[in-house]
Amino acid sequence: MKHLTLFAAGGIAAMALIAAAAPARAETQLNVGMAAADLGSLDPHRSATTQDKAVIGWMFNGLVRFKPGTINPEQIEPDLANTWESTPDQLTWTFHLRHGVQCNNGFGELTSDDVVFSLKRAANPKTSAFSSDFADIASIEAPDPYTVQVKFKKHIPAALGLFTNYQGGNIVCKKAVEKLGADFRTKAVGTGPFAIAEYDPSQSVTLVANKSYFRGAPKIDRIVYRYIQSDASRDLAYSSGEIDLIYGRQDQVWAQRMQSQPHTVVDVFGPAELSDISLNITKKPLDDLRVRQAIAYAINRDELVKFKGAMTASAAVSIIPHGYLGTDEHAPLYPYDPAKAKQLLAAAGYPNGVTIKAIQTSFPSMLNTMQIVQAQLKKVGIDLQLDVVDHPTFHAQIRKDLSEVVLYSAGRFPVADVYLTQFFHSRSIVNTPTAVTNFSHCGMADQEIDAARDATDLAKQKALWKTAQDKLVEAVCAVPTYEQLQVWAHRDKLDFGYKLEASLTLGPIINETTTLKP
Amino acid sequence: MLSYIAKRLLVAVPTLLAVLTVVFFFVRIAPGDPAFIILGDQASQEALASVRHQLGLDQPIPVQYVVFLGQVLQGDLGTSLVTNRSVWGEVVKVLPYTIELTLTALAIGIVLGLPLGVIAARARNGAIDYLARFFSLIGLSFPAFVSAILLLLVFAIQLHWFPVISEARLDDPAARLRALALPAINLGLIMVAYVMRVARSSMLGVLGEDYIRTARAKGVPARMVIWRHALRNALIPVVTVVGLYLGVLIGNSVLTEIVFNRPGLGKLIVNSLNQRDYTMLEGMMVIYAFFIVIANLVTDLTYGLIDPRVKRQ
Repeated sequence: MKHLTLFAAGGIAAMALIAAAAPARAETQLNVGMAAADLGSLDPHRSATTQDKAVIGWMFNGLVRFKPGTINPEQIEPDLANTWESTPDQLTWTFHLRHGVQCNNGFGELTSDDVVFSLKRAANPKTSAFSSDFADIASIEAPDPYTVQVKFKKHIPAALGLFTNYQGGNIVCKKAVEKLGADFRTKAVGTGPFAIAEYDPSQSVTLVANKSYFRGAPKIDRIVYRYIQSDASRDLAYSSGEIDLIYGRQDQVWAQRMQSQPHTVVDVFGPAELSDISLNITKKPLDDLRVRQAIAYAINRDELVKFKGAMTASAAVSIIPHGYLGTDEHAPLYPYDPAKAKQLLAAAGYPNGVTIKAIQTSFPSMLNTMQIVQAQLKKVGIDLQLDVVDHPTFHAQIRKDLSEVVLYSAGRFPVADVYLTQFFHSRSIVNTPTAVTNFSHCGMADQEIDAARDATDLAKQKALWKTAQDKLVEAVCAVPTYEQLQVWAHRDKLDFGYKLEASLTLGPIINETTTLKP
Repeated sequence: MLSYIAKRLLVAVPTLLAVLTVVFFFVRIAPGDPAFIILGDQASQEALASVRHQLGLDQPIPVQYVVFLGQVLQGDLGTSLVTNRSVWGEVVKVLPYTIELTLTALAIGIVLGLPLGVIAARARNGAIDYLARFFSLIGLSFPAFVSAILLLLVFAIQLHWFPVISEARLDDPAARLRALALPAINLGLIMVAYVMRVARSSMLGVLGEDYIRTARAKGVPARMVIWRHALRNALIPVVTVVGLYLGVLIGNSVLTEIVFNRPGLGKLIVNSLNQRDYTMLEGMMVIYAFFIVIANLVTDLTYGLIDPRVKRQ
């Protein structure tokens, strides 16, 4: 027994001794904890993953930007361009750049040459994941070093949105792209308030303040953005004070628990990501409208919201997220009516129930949604069989059109056209050369979606989008379920410097107005 | 001796090639597309095709295999599909962390486990023996990630002795030691449990042998009988278990690395798998297989040190 005690005492003493060697910390450093294993890409034209968007937002500017903390296309303000104008037909846009804006990491002044290069790069499928957004651009030119002129082939809705600090609109510095080549992915250079200093694979990205930022030097000197995959350790790192800003699990339990932590502010903000359950109308038995209607009647949105928590989730209003320009906020969704569902199933020739199959990701928050839906459908005699696979497999298989039913959770640029086109236009049907994410094979609203795209009158445009949504809802191309807001938390010593209502980077914007008290 | 080692290493070459081939084809059979992971869910088919072409993934698989094999034979493990960094460079960067964690855990396991096993064997069926067996059972049945979180709760959150994010620069030894402590203890305690159990049962077998009785009858002090005569003979099974477990330890370190946010080989392997980073995964597997080969070799050589009869064979 004496030996055991000796071992134990020795062990504890050694631990205490090692612990005594504590590290010192100078300057203002913001420590961020993100739920991801690693960086995807810091190249704004190539990255679409949640973990990259926030960082990219701190490093880049657009020609124009959304007012920090908002995503309202009607509140767009100057960014790299001081002023801009468009011709009455909105086919030609001219941007006048700020003078003296410096590219980070010593890549010189940003001129129209960089902007033209950057927009062309964003429009090129070989260098950009967002090239299709720029498909209707005819030319991008620089008449002088501080002027950029963009001509469109035809009118597109919310054209100014292409030049915001979002995806392909983020302006990269030409010399840096040319010099860094493939390394641009991890050493990306923009003009934003923060610049890349270091990338440590699977561990962290370190950004430093751009002291010559055109809006003024940031008050935070350094940001360490850590990839902390394990939810438990990320929360523990926050509790121990090692991180100040934390990406949250999108559920109410987490939000409530964080609220009870001392000196903590929970941020619940937009844009909401809508979870639609797409039904493949070309596959039996889903080719029968009655079966699809039965599914729509059997799914209880309110129960899903209750499970997800009213603080961070709300019921869907249409097949596209609420609050977008053109969303029908009161779309004629099918109400919860299990009796009606059973009737419809019987009428369709399935009085004893029916079996449908879905390939489902093991991603926890999506899997538990689908498990609730599975239980709801069971009550009316629909046996939803889930083939659970890992997330990359899920994405690969649903794009090969292998799943009859697809639960997909997404937010897009807040204009109805984008969501409708990507999810419900026949051009976007999966497993075709022009595929995006149309899993339902619906195309009955193509005309309205295209006509709205061409319309120059906003009221007419909105009316067309409404008709499109009504048609798609009625045909049950997808069953909209709930919308999930973004959830983060931060210590109250961190002040963003603006009111965070929504952010297209899916994370708080950290800029020259953000402060971190010691 | 040297020719023996050289021979063993040469025999390892086909093993490594086999591992390489299996991994190469298996990761490509698994659904999932690196181009999609690089570009995200809004990328057009055209953009995806262009990335696949850039990465050489549009070539027929046999062609890809031949190209890859050619590279490996020239000692080039290629570059990561996702980060475009050299696979070897990435591995070299995290290797010191994996090695220090594995070796420290191993050291903790041997230094604590061996004496505990001997003490428990001597006090067979006594209070100490039961206690030691009880704790080793806990150590064996506790998942590494649960014990990791418990350690964090106590030593990082309550006592503030250690950081939750167990990461430190290689050039800062003090911080490195602090960062190493909890993960090493976490893995080490599991190792203690293994070593203790094997040492105990092996010791019990040896203590019943005739030569131990003879030594005792001749009046050799009890301490000498145990630590000199019995232990040395009881060590072979312990070395076997340690050698076998070394491979498990490197693999087990994945969970420990994830929970403690440590860089390391295990984490790199899991990440590359999730990202379908084929080249990274292939490189990692070769290196991992190489480690197992080395661990086995060291185990065999250790037998010779403990028991000269093995060396003579």
